[in-house]
Amino acid sequence: MAETPSGVLRVDARAAGQRLVNQWLANIHTAPARGQPVAYIFVMGNAIEILRSFGFEMVFPEINSLQTGVRKAAPDFLAKAEDYGFSPDVCSYVKADVGLMLSNMEHPSGTHMPTPDLAIASSLCNVYIKWAEIWERRFGTPAFVLDIPGKRFESWRPLPGTPQYEADKRWVEGQLRDLIARCEDITGKKFDPDRLAEVETHVNEMVRLWTEILQLNQHRPAPYNSMLDGLTYIGVLNAWRGTPEGVEYMRLLRDEVADKIARGEGRVPNERFRLIFSGTPCYVNMRRLVELFESHGGVFAASDYLTYAAGGLDSSGLFYDPSRPLESLAEVTTLASQLGLSNHFFSHHTLARQVKEYAADGIVYHGIKSCRTVATSMADNREYVTSRYGLPTLYIESDLIDPRYWSDAQIKNRVDAFFEVLEQRSLLDGGQ
Amino acid sequence: MLYVVGVDIGSTQAKAVALDERAQIVGQALLDIEMNMGSAAQEVFDQVLRVAGLSESEIAFTVATGYGRYRVTFGDAQVTEISCHARGATAEFPRTRTVLDIGGQDTKAIRVGDAGEVMDFAMNDKCAAGTGRFLGAASFALELPLSDLGPLAMQATAPVKITTTCTVFAESEIIGHLAKGHRAEDVLAGMHYSIATRCASLVRRVGLTPEITFTGGVSRNAAMVTLLQQVLGMPLNVSAQGHFMGAIGAALYALDHARAGHPRARAEEVPS
Repeated sequence: MAETPSGVLRVDARAAGQRLVNQWLANIHTAPARGQPVAYIFVMGNAIEILRSFGFEMVFPEINSLQTGVRKAAPDFLAKAEDYGFSPDVCSYVKADVGLMLSNMEHPSGTHMPTPDLAIASSLCNVYIKWAEIWERRFGTPAFVLDIPGKRFESWRPLPGTPQYEADKRWVEGQLRDLIARCEDITGKKFDPDRLAEVETHVNEMVRLWTEILQLNQHRPAPYNSMLDGLTYIGVLNAWRGTPEGVEYMRLLRDEVADKIARGEGRVPNERFRLIFSGTPCYVNMRRLVELFESHGGVFAASDYLTYAAGGLDSSGLFYDPSRPLESLAEVTTLASQLGLSNHFFSHHTLARQVKEYAADGIVYHGIKSCRTVATSMADNREYVTSRYGLPTLYIESDLIDPRYWSDAQIKNRVDAFFEVLEQRSLLDGGQ
Repeated sequence: MLYVVGVDIGSTQAKAVALDERAQIVGQALLDIEMNMGSAAQEVFDQVLRVAGLSESEIAFTVATGYGRYRVTFGDAQVTEISCHARGATAEFPRTRTVLDIGGQDTKAIRVGDAGEVMDFAMNDKCAAGTGRFLGAASFALELPLSDLGPLAMQATAPVKITTTCTVFAESEIIGHLAKGHRAEDVLAGMHYSIATRCASLVRRVGLTPEITFTGGVSRNAAMVTLLQQVLGMPLNVSAQGHFMGAIGAALYALDHARAGHPRARAEEVPS
């Protein structure tokens, strides 16, 4: 419980978030016994709104895998996949998921992961489709692949009204209609547009609150760390997207963050440097990484991960129109995906904007050893922000969940040197 | 007279430099690290004091650098070797804008600004390819002391192409080339070229801005200097003190502290 400035006691967001995560895992565990259908989906481009309207329980294999890292169980799961024959170079999320299959689906959270009745992959990550093919072979569940057109060139997004956009939208909408037919077959239920509209209304409210929460971290000192607290927030956002519980959590969180600002509290007691994190977290050592930065008074005020991991649905200003739920879902899916991972080659503009909005002193890039996709654009991106804005940047490398790629002494050395750069810069600029 | 010390505890060697208040070197010491970084640090510190004819009480400030900087329990402050090499290099060659440091297991390219400040840096990651350790593998495979490698490589007439970038596999590749009848000097020239291209790529990553100053233990290797100049297409500044550049930079930071009147503050040993 926490006390608000007005003296009213209420449940704190951390406890509420933990309760929701536990509740979600319990729901997954008991879904087959309750006769509830289960869908396997990815974080980006998942059409969760349609699935929710049909009453599916959602399993996010990416979250299952990152949780093996958070719970320090990843080495066992990765070893099982490698012993089976997967190369160490394969995405460690995929390997941890294969490890789970080879562990009788017993997840370290204590959840028995049910097999899917429906699996959806999308074109937003080049590994998704191959990963879903593993499910097909393992579980005999055909994957439904959503082909969402990505962004083509820098600064060119097909905008509403243009022929390209209309074609993209029709292309996505057609696939969503196919998905609906598949859901009707699996569940034996008829598609209910009103229920879809209801889910979309909840998503709209969650996105509105999430946008506000992200913007609140523009405050100095930053009330939370994007790459520690923010990771919890986004986990709940994904698992409970489109639900009243999700809306309630986001509201609680927004109020709590606003209260922290009102009390003048920052995440770091003596905030000295405000940073932006670009890339995917190292879930197996994230606390340690954040600690290395916070020991120098550095806080991650913002991160592009909180955009990508929300499927592109954050401050993009995209909202559903529940009066025409299916068309609107196609429109937003088309546009949001272009702000998601498919935009990562062009994310320098977004980062440059965030640097300004969050008054950032530098950007930290985290490359992933087992994912060349997310690391591909980082060199160009760094070059752009350093040459154009003279902004200090740091590139460090480890992995999503594979602790073998974490070298503490090397990372600490780079982080220490980066803060020496920031200190020197600060002195030359006249001190802080 | 005011004296300061810079101690550089690297992955393979411990270096120490003592400066007087005019930033003149009054003593330097170097030793191989065997097991214990902490005792090596103490030993090299004692040695530099002996060489300089100073007692510990005469030292106004000590800065430690290198991977073992937190093992230097008598250090008053720690600064990374990135800042120290930049500091040392720009002190001797003020027009330095890029520093390349090839050490025992780390290679760093550092871009410095007009005031000698570090602007950006890039380092080898999780792999000793393109570092001094690569030459260590050659030294082991050829049963030659490290100091002989450069001069021998300079005598090459038909350098072989080393394809592996893995320090561990390099040894078997060298043995393979020797077994095929290639001469040791030609194999060595290939090894040096392989390191030079890896390092040049690191330098390009931070921007190839002249002047470039080459520091670290490997800067004593004439073959490496020649090849790097060839690959980068420009001359390199190389100091006779290149091997000690990290320790010199640390000592210069120590001098800043001493001149500012900062009191000594022994560091607590941080487990790593």
